[in-house]
Amino acid sequence: MQYMPSPAPAPLAGLKAKRLGREFVAAIGLTLFAAAGFAGSDSWPGRAAETAFGFVASAQAQTPQRIVAVGGVVTEVLYALGLQDSIVGVDTTSLWPPEAMKEKKNVGYVRALSAEGVLSLKPSLVIAVEGAGPPDALALVREAGLPMAPVPEALTPEAVVSKIEIIGKAAGAAEPARQLAAGVKARFAELDKLRAGLPAKKRVLFVLSLQNGRTMVGGRNSTADAIIALAGGVNAAEAVEGFKPMTDEAIITAAPDYVLMMRHSAAPSQTPEELFAMPAFSQTPAAKTKGLIRMDGLYLLGFGPRTPDAARDLMAALYPEAKIAQLPGAK
Amino acid sequence: MTLAVKPATVPGATALARLTASRRQRNLVAGGILLGLCLLLMLLSLGAGAFAIAPGRVAEILLARLGSGPAELLDSREALVVLNIRMPRLLLGALVGAALAISGALMQGLFRNPLADPGLVGVSAGAGLAAAATIVLGDRLLAGMGMGMKLPFAALPFGAFFGGLISTLALYLIATREGRTSVATMLLAGVALGALAGSLTGLLAYISDDRQLRDLTFWSMGSLGGASWSKLSVVAPIVLPLLIAVPFLARGLNALMLGEAEAFHLGIPVQRIKATAVVLVALSVGASVAAAGVIGFVGIVVPHLIRLLIGPDHRLLLPLSAIGGATLLVGADIVARLIVVPAELPIGIVTAFIGAPFFLWLLLRRGRIAES
Amino acid sequence: MATILEARDLHFRVRGTALVRDASLQLDAGTTSIIVGPNGAGKSTLLKLLTGELTPAQGEVRLDSAPLAGAPAWKLACQRAVMSQNQRLAFPFSVYEVARLGLEGVGRSQPRGRSEQIIAEALETAGVLGLASREYQTLSGGEQQRVQFARALCQLEAGRSVAERQILFLDEPIASLDLCHQLALLDAARAIATQGAAVLIVLHDLNLAVTYADRLLVMHEGAIVAQGAPAAILDDALLRGVFRVDLAFSRLPPTGLPFLLPQQHLRAASGPALRAAGA
Repeated sequence: MQYMPSPAPAPLAGLKAKRLGREFVAAIGLTLFAAAGFAGSDSWPGRAAETAFGFVASAQAQTPQRIVAVGGVVTEVLYALGLQDSIVGVDTTSLWPPEAMKEKKNVGYVRALSAEGVLSLKPSLVIAVEGAGPPDALALVREAGLPMAPVPEALTPEAVVSKIEIIGKAAGAAEPARQLAAGVKARFAELDKLRAGLPAKKRVLFVLSLQNGRTMVGGRNSTADAIIALAGGVNAAEAVEGFKPMTDEAIITAAPDYVLMMRHSAAPSQTPEELFAMPAFSQTPAAKTKGLIRMDGLYLLGFGPRTPDAARDLMAALYPEAKIAQLPGAK
Repeated sequence: MTLAVKPATVPGATALARLTASRRQRNLVAGGILLGLCLLLMLLSLGAGAFAIAPGRVAEILLARLGSGPAELLDSREALVVLNIRMPRLLLGALVGAALAISGALMQGLFRNPLADPGLVGVSAGAGLAAAATIVLGDRLLAGMGMGMKLPFAALPFGAFFGGLISTLALYLIATREGRTSVATMLLAGVALGALAGSLTGLLAYISDDRQLRDLTFWSMGSLGGASWSKLSVVAPIVLPLLIAVPFLARGLNALMLGEAEAFHLGIPVQRIKATAVVLVALSVGASVAAAGVIGFVGIVVPHLIRLLIGPDHRLLLPLSAIGGATLLVGADIVARLIVVPAELPIGIVTAFIGAPFFLWLLLRRGRIAES
Repeated sequence: MATILEARDLHFRVRGTALVRDASLQLDAGTTSIIVGPNGAGKSTLLKLLTGELTPAQGEVRLDSAPLAGAPAWKLACQRAVMSQNQRLAFPFSVYEVARLGLEGVGRSQPRGRSEQIIAEALETAGVLGLASREYQTLSGGEQQRVQFARALCQLEAGRSVAERQILFLDEPIASLDLCHQLALLDAARAIATQGAAVLIVLHDLNLAVTYADRLLVMHEGAIVAQGAPAAILDDALLRGVFRVDLAFSRLPPTGLPFLLPQQHLRAASGPALRAAGA
């Protein structure tokens, strides 16, 4: 799957040029419109002041874009960069910050976009994670002459840092993004130091769901595995790949010191008593200490700018005796 | 009419002539209404969408495309939406709808069972399995070959198409002994093959990651979202033979309603009809599934609807099913595109959602007529 | 008399069981032949061999002096029409449409007016013209049988423009009919024979068989054990040996035709009839 616009064949070049000319005019028009909008909005300076980065207003003024953000991490980074007013559409995985889904048009699930739906928002730019699709729809969007910026997805600190830089660069906010990325990088480095000072590693079992007594766990190569590693734990479910159901006996054998679950806002959460009353969990080391950790799912598994903090929080919960410090720059 | 010449021999003949004339009139009216509805929805489909374009503008773009209008109009993004997104999507929807509905009617005729659907020839099971394999294993296989490339996006439709063909071929060979194909064996072997494919698909779903699982789910709900002229140019030549063969198959299928032996007695080349129908259905359903994913409901219910309207004569049933299938899919696609703008619903959800209540209403109404 | 169909030494087996053995017969223009025999004697199988639906393991059927095997379906359809025992219909066709099915294979070149005339006449002959608009599946078994007869008549009539020497095969055509319609259908079949076709009927009622047959074929355990004029071949020994009934034929005075009165049986019977028959 390619997401870079393919070079146009010669006969089309003229057509493209015409299109570019028209877009230029449109861009000027939009700039004026956007400027008027900003001038009339009194909330704008306040919101800029709220963010940790002082460059926002200038970045906004230079790049009055209409961006469709596809992929939760894209939306999160754009909001973190203060570019929320440039976003005209997000996908259904854009759950952070929560207002994104309320304020912006929803173009559907990241893997099932509609070409006309995206185009109908009259975007000037589409920033999409690498897995966005379907490819046919993206091909049509490219055919409409829209620049598309692909964002690689990986679960390493380096990838998170480069993601931020790529998204920022695509949105015309390269410098602020570099600063944000540098901050994230610094906090990852701080996290490394904290991790190095940890005592014997704890075993953590990530439980995605407990439907009908069937336990879905996060195995290796899952986002849960990556965050557990960052937090200095050992994934107790390393034997399975991805998110898979695990048998009761395998859970006992996995012998987790802690059970990690997502906190759902809608459904009532499992109490530690209920969880550790289940036969599979009652026999684990975690049962003795009632070691159940619950964290917000997106915060924990989003692999965006907040990830170092999420890893720190998990680390603090896993090793209370180590008295893990806050990362610099954290709220 | 000739009948009037010898009224003495057959006293009831004039009544019969009146009867057939009134039937013909009814069929003409039903066909006309259906065709009108289909064309209306097609126009609506060109004019409606997430991207707001005034109806007059759509007309201008179409005229410009036909050469009577300013050519620079064709460079606009609006023209792109109308000509390269809506138009191929409309045509693909109509083509897939027609193919699925005709295939359903053919299978019901061939298996002499009103519950038969195009999937009975094994094409859906094979296509589903192949699609799952492409989604789940495709990238791994390429990675395993160390070529460092990503799966080309034609892989899924091609995989689905050939998967469907291979399983139909297997089924056909299993059910054919000494040059005779037993539809009963085909039905049973189809169930077994479907179960096998289902279990392998389940296995693939088990080893898939979250994203692949979502892909599989969306694929199984169907979408016309990927329609493009290039896709259409691949699907159309595969589906057209089915549409062309309809008049040749209709008489044979009518005779088959009495049974295979009876159809043979009536002079129908039964084996040739069976082989032709199976091959054409496998090809066109395979192509439809490859282009638009799994769209249920059309193949089984559109022929029923038409039968309720004009009776079971395949000479009318097949062409009107084609129009009905195209109408349903084009209509459902309009809803799918407009209901959650700017996102869209999988079309398989919509076809059943608007088709099923209509079908139930027709069944109930018909029941009441029969009682009175 | 011209022979239209000739069968020689037909054998047909299914998994080692011989259903038809060593059957030879001929069907002549203008004659009505009737096959009788107990259940499982091979009557319907023989009929299927003669219509081309089944291929004999041994022996040959020649239709109009050409081998039946390998003849294309459309050509056979012009030369013979078949009314089988199967009267099921998969979808709710009207009576008119079922009769019209007789024209699906052979009548496609007929102008519409001619087709409708053929259908109307056939429905009239079978006595179901009044039911033309009814749904076939809502009819009684007897009415359905008559519609099937009309369908076979349509095919025969349409095929006549192509093939003059035709055969009408009827497999137990009167099984569900009342007496009036039994006689009417058999009359119609005989009328077709007198117009020059050969008619072959499988029947159970010996009295009717004797009444309508020019030529009677008696089958027993897959073989044709007697064939010829009914008066010449039917005797009490055959009745006992083949049909396992202890009855005696009477003869009608003017024609000498044999007939049976089952009432005799009541006087003679001393045990459950079915068990006695099976013993």
